[in-house]
Amino acid sequence: MPEPIVELRGIVKVYPDGVKALDGVDLRLYPGLVHAILGENGAGKTTLMRILYGEIRPTRGEIIIRGRRVRLRSTVDGIRNGIAMVYQHPRLVPTLTVRENILLYFHSAGIDPGELEERLRRAQEITGFSAPLDERVEDLPVGVRQRVDILRGIAAGARVLILDEPTTNLSPIEVEGLMNAIKGMKREGIAIAYITHRLPEVMEIADTVTVLRKGRVVASEVDPRSLGEEGLARLMVGEVPPPPPKERGKRLGEPVLRIHGLRARGKIEVYIDELVVREGEVLGVAGVEGNGQDELVAAIVGYGERLEGWVEVLGRRNPSPREFYKIGGAYIPGDRRKALALFFSVAENLAFLRYAHEGPALLTPGRLVALYREVAEEYNVVAGSPWAPVRSLSGGNQQKLLVGSQLHMKPRLLVAVNPTRGLDVATTRYVRGLIAGLASRGAGVLLVSTDLDEILEVSDRIAVISRGRIAGVLSPEEATPEKLGLLMGGGR
Amino acid sequence: MNVHDLALVGVLSLSSMTPIALTAVGEVIAERSGVVNIGLEGILLISAWTSVYAGLYWGGWPAGYLMGLLTGLLLGLLHAAIAVYARGDQIIAGIGLNIAAAGGTTLATRAVWGNYAQSPRVPQAPPSITIMGQRVSIMVFAAVVIAFLAWWLLEKTRTGLRIKAVGDDPRAADALGISVEKTRLLATVLGGSLAGLAGAYMSIDYLGSFVKLMSAGRGFIALAAVAFSGWDPLGALLGSIIFGFGDALGRYYSITSGATANAYLYYTIPYILTLLAVAATAWRAKMPRALGQPYKRE
Ligand SMILES: Nc1ncnc2c1ncn2[C@@H]1O[C@H](COP(=O)(O)OP(=O)(O)OP(=O)(O)O)[C@@H](O)[C@H]1O
Ligand SMILES: [Mg+2]
Repeated sequence: MPEPIVELRGIVKVYPDGVKALDGVDLRLYPGLVHAILGENGAGKTTLMRILYGEIRPTRGEIIIRGRRVRLRSTVDGIRNGIAMVYQHPRLVPTLTVRENILLYFHSAGIDPGELEERLRRAQEITGFSAPLDERVEDLPVGVRQRVDILRGIAAGARVLILDEPTTNLSPIEVEGLMNAIKGMKREGIAIAYITHRLPEVMEIADTVTVLRKGRVVASEVDPRSLGEEGLARLMVGEVPPPPPKERGKRLGEPVLRIHGLRARGKIEVYIDELVVREGEVLGVAGVEGNGQDELVAAIVGYGERLEGWVEVLGRRNPSPREFYKIGGAYIPGDRRKALALFFSVAENLAFLRYAHEGPALLTPGRLVALYREVAEEYNVVAGSPWAPVRSLSGGNQQKLLVGSQLHMKPRLLVAVNPTRGLDVATTRYVRGLIAGLASRGAGVLLVSTDLDEILEVSDRIAVISRGRIAGVLSPEEATPEKLGLLMGGGR
Repeated sequence: MNVHDLALVGVLSLSSMTPIALTAVGEVIAERSGVVNIGLEGILLISAWTSVYAGLYWGGWPAGYLMGLLTGLLLGLLHAAIAVYARGDQIIAGIGLNIAAAGGTTLATRAVWGNYAQSPRVPQAPPSITIMGQRVSIMVFAAVVIAFLAWWLLEKTRTGLRIKAVGDDPRAADALGISVEKTRLLATVLGGSLAGLAGAYMSIDYLGSFVKLMSAGRGFIALAAVAFSGWDPLGALLGSIIFGFGDALGRYYSITSGATANAYLYYTIPYILTLLAVAATAWRAKMPRALGQPYKRE
């Protein structure tokens, strides 16, 4: 291997509230290589990267960049040492234009704004990305924002790029673009730290892998291809249970969700002629993001506009969101940041999430804490205390809180959108098992997911949504990835 | 009203506009950084008082203006300390200042000048020109220039970009190593200083003395002008011109109608005008996203 650009030695991080997130971690990043950093939720991956970027300071340990020991007092030091970090949710100022966001970065990097065009052109060559300079960031889709975030770092001359779960919010086509950009950056000799829970991506792009578990390194610079996906998963979490075999020939009960002639409008217009979910089944809805999933779900749960036709949930026509929960519905939204109040505590969030279902009983702290205990225990939510703010939880634990709050109600209809987004391998399997288990105990599940593996693993029937229409409904046997891909793309 | 009178009202409104414009422009800068200062009314009042004091006993109007500026600066600093560093409630801090200012200046007037109502006149007035027989201070023109400078600061400079970034998304700014605290401190102090100038203008320049509760809600009108402006210094200038015109109109009618009872009615014109202007604008859409929210890194 070449000389490392960056070396972290013996990094320890204890957060102010006493959580020991890292306990003596070593890590090296090499020019032109993609170093995947894996680990279960809460293992300390993001914490380690924030330290390298200069955003937070290590409690102990050394940071060596190009052979020199450095102290990073703030992200300005990180940026000036050629480190760029792309967070899971790009940190761009939404009200400013792309150009202004790049300028802000250049100021921090100490680069003459006059070089913007020239440097950007170069970064575009390397990554293959382009950026609409005069658009406001909030008018751009998430995928484009991420490109801007990467571009500005490369344009400012970053030699180390940190990508924290970069594909979680991308469509398959955007993922492909990102992979190409990474290849371009490798050719330039840029070192890349790549955090992900998606093992196929690791296989595709990573040159070397380090695995963290509970703040320690359990495998350092291993070759992903010689270990294989199963081998990596074992390193991350110990033994991974195989996916449960699907029950065949289940007896289905009454419909819990019926949709008839529904026309709904959000970002696009959706028309669903007929769709039924029965007790005991998981109906998967596959499709590329933005093909009407949001509109469909909003119409079912009741916060979206229903222009025509109807939705029947557990016998009730066109329920309001409140009624939806009251009669036994549960809902896991796709974007947890919209469902959780990050600055409120875990317990308070539980109260919000369950209020429609439980009512004012939850205003009693005792009852609330009891609920917290049950949910945290049953669904493995690791939080310091019920009163810890949700933002201090790792991404995966936030997701488990959200999923747990809903499954714990023992709903009769569950509408779940990308329920395992941001979860590690073991937890993903666990949550999928919970969803399948819910169905086998007689509830109906509508599983909307952009992850084909997830759909194939859990669903009893698969509906493909494309441009606001159901393009076809298949049994798992018929549903080969090719066939699904074709339907998703609008073919027949 | 004939053309001559209309022109006269126009000239009068220049003077009425000035304190609002200075205060509102300053507050636009502060609010763009995410700090709201409800205490502007208090800053106007206190700096009006201190500048008269300095003008009388230390060095005439130049000392007065300097003192006003300094008072505003210090009060801005105080507000920033509470709002930015102690992460206190910005609204409550501002209300506190307003209450303290109303009581404090009245008591200080009594202590220094022996009555609750007003101070002696500051003998010499700042330079001015005369239009249609009306005195128009050079501060009027300075206010317009300051509004343009503030616009330039926010739209054309690195500091301005940073101010807007911390006001709209402090987390994103923080991720680039921009100090949210320092940037907000700077903006709040700038805002306070301009309000201090406005207070000095009202007392040593426009009126010539300090009069009990002389700010008469102008701090709040300035806050309204900020919302009306869509958080833009030039919009704030426009908003204060509208208010100034209403104010001048009120004074014109109250004098020409000759009836005291009506005078009070006419004096409400600018306030009603402000209310209508704010109601008619879609101001929420442009509000800085993190306005009033303290920032703490996770
Ligand atoms: N700001 C914070 N304050 C206190 N504890 C924190 C904070 N941020 C993270 N932690 C804790 O530190 C540990 C490591 O968190 P980190 O976010 O680094 O995990 P991660 O490996 O990135 O997990 P995920 O895959 O879920 O994103 C967790 O136990 C988390 O709860
Ligand atoms: Mg993380």
